[in-house]
Amino acid sequence: MRLLLVEDDQMIGESVRAGLQQDGFAVDWVQDGRAAELALETNSYDTLLLDLGLPRKAGLDVLASLRRRGDAIPVLILTARDAISDRVKGLDAGADDYLVKPFDLEELAARVRALLRRKSGRADPVVQVGSLILNPATHEVTLEGKSISLSAREFALIHALAGRPGVVYSRTQLEEKLYGWGHEVESNTVEVYIHSLRRKLGADLIHNVRGVGYMVPKQP
Amino acid sequence: MNSIRRRLLLWLLSGLALAVVAAGARIYTQTLDEANELFDYHLKQMAASLPSDAFGPLPPSSAAAMGSVNGFVVQIWDRNGLELYFSQPASKLPQRAELGFSTVDTPNGRWRVYSVLERNNVIQVAQPMSVRRDLAAGMALHALVPLLALLPVLGILIWLTIGRGLQPLDRMAEALGRRTPDSLDPLPEEGLPNEIQPLVHALNDLLGRLARALESQKAFVADAAHELRTPLTAVQLQIQLAQRAQTGEEREAAFARLKGGQSRAAHLVQQLLTLARQEPGVAPQTFAPVDLAELARLVVSEYAPLAADKNIDLGLGRAEHASVSGDFEALRVMLGNLVDNAIRYTPAGGTVDVALHLSGREAVLEIADTGPGIPQEDRARVFDRFYRRDAAHVAGSGLGLAIVKNIADRHHASIVLDNRTPGPGLRVAVSFPLA
Repeated sequence: MRLLLVEDDQMIGESVRAGLQQDGFAVDWVQDGRAAELALETNSYDTLLLDLGLPRKAGLDVLASLRRRGDAIPVLILTARDAISDRVKGLDAGADDYLVKPFDLEELAARVRALLRRKSGRADPVVQVGSLILNPATHEVTLEGKSISLSAREFALIHALAGRPGVVYSRTQLEEKLYGWGHEVESNTVEVYIHSLRRKLGADLIHNVRGVGYMVPKQP
Repeated sequence: MNSIRRRLLLWLLSGLALAVVAAGARIYTQTLDEANELFDYHLKQMAASLPSDAFGPLPPSSAAAMGSVNGFVVQIWDRNGLELYFSQPASKLPQRAELGFSTVDTPNGRWRVYSVLERNNVIQVAQPMSVRRDLAAGMALHALVPLLALLPVLGILIWLTIGRGLQPLDRMAEALGRRTPDSLDPLPEEGLPNEIQPLVHALNDLLGRLARALESQKAFVADAAHELRTPLTAVQLQIQLAQRAQTGEEREAAFARLKGGQSRAAHLVQQLLTLARQEPGVAPQTFAPVDLAELARLVVSEYAPLAADKNIDLGLGRAEHASVSGDFEALRVMLGNLVDNAIRYTPAGGTVDVALHLSGREAVLEIADTGPGIPQEDRARVFDRFYRRDAAHVAGSGLGLAIVKNIADRHHASIVLDNRTPGPGLRVAVSFPLA
């Protein structure tokens, strides 16, 4: 899952990015409103984490123009403004959730997962495809009741595919979900992870759609 | 007895009583004068009306009748001193050869006597003065009694009137008593007596100033709380990252970050304290002569290591001798903040120049850098608390210039932000008035 973090404070930005990366998210971080808009226009993100007091363009303005464009990306506001009126203003401007600083990394990750869950139209926090069960909060994976150990990247990949069964993801899309900016991505990285997933979860779970990408088929 | 009401009552009633007594005295003396005139005339008339040849003793009834009227006494004797007639044998008057009016002291009191020589007889008509005095006293008393009876009524009236007059004060006290520290809106000034209006006006003035001071304090606390949240958020996140660290290397990096976050929070708290101390009117000012050139040399040498670290050429240019009255430590913080800012915003390889020169009746401290400068539209705002123009790229609390402004204000110094010539760069000029 790829997130865009907009946070002007150096220390907070670094820490949030590091924390979310440890939770298996790919995080791009920008420090002002204009850069956020540029990033949103040129990349596709699963969730936007938005600070309000930003240089160059205020967070609420970024949010407003985002929604005017019809972009439905889940938005989580991260701010020090804790007044009820501020929260109401933020949510009414189109945010999906509002987290007041100082916040807890675990809670932030949980809220991001909740947003992603809602976005994919599910209420159940656990992703289940056939006998494969993924728990995004704990990264636990079971297949036919047996626990399977996956690395963070492997989990992110199978989570993306199994989260929306029947949808074909291109290799580039999958790479984007795995990595933020600044990571050198080897040309065959996705293939390497797919291979390893097939080895652990069975060869027929992930289908290769030739010339297009990969998918986990819907289970009858 | 520190009550306006009681004091007024006491003074007014005493004054009234005094006036009544004075009026009584005046009535008494006036009546006495008139009575003297009238009765003297009477004495004369009586003497004249006595038959000059009736020298036998008068019948007692007639004498009694005569004597009973205002105590007149008639006595006649011949030129040989032979008594011919006494109207009141009981109250004999001394024989007086003096003719005309005279006043005589006798064992029976003071008498007014009129003597006249009628052929060979001396006729003396006399009247005790006490009769006249009693008459005057009676008149005076007659006039005074109703006035004296009125005094208590007047007292009550004065008491009530003063009470009524002071009611606006009571109402004001009540209105003020109901106030909470937050309700500082002005008291109504219309309909107040002229005497109380200046007081209420002054009170409202004070309330207004208090409200503004309270407002700015509240804003400051709210701002401070908000600003503290940022470094605290960073610290909390850094702690969590440290907890999650798997390897020693990760842990070390996390702790290094945590230390950074902690020192940043500590710096902000320190700046807040400095700012609070430099708030105008907070601490009693301990002003002493300060040698600005020495101050500039001290600050420049303090910041030389930091400048060298960033490869910035920091130096003191022209430094004329100037002494101002001020708080040395505060001025050191002020110049330090300005130099620190200049170093922060100036790219490596740049220059920061500090200079001091006299201009008219002012000593001007100048700090010029080769940084990006501050656009005209931002120059007023940079002195606001927590205002940071370029938050993303330069670390800071946003309080440095607010502190500078407070210290300058305390020293009645003015600050001008300008473009450095030749540009680009910022030139800050702090002008101190010379005594």
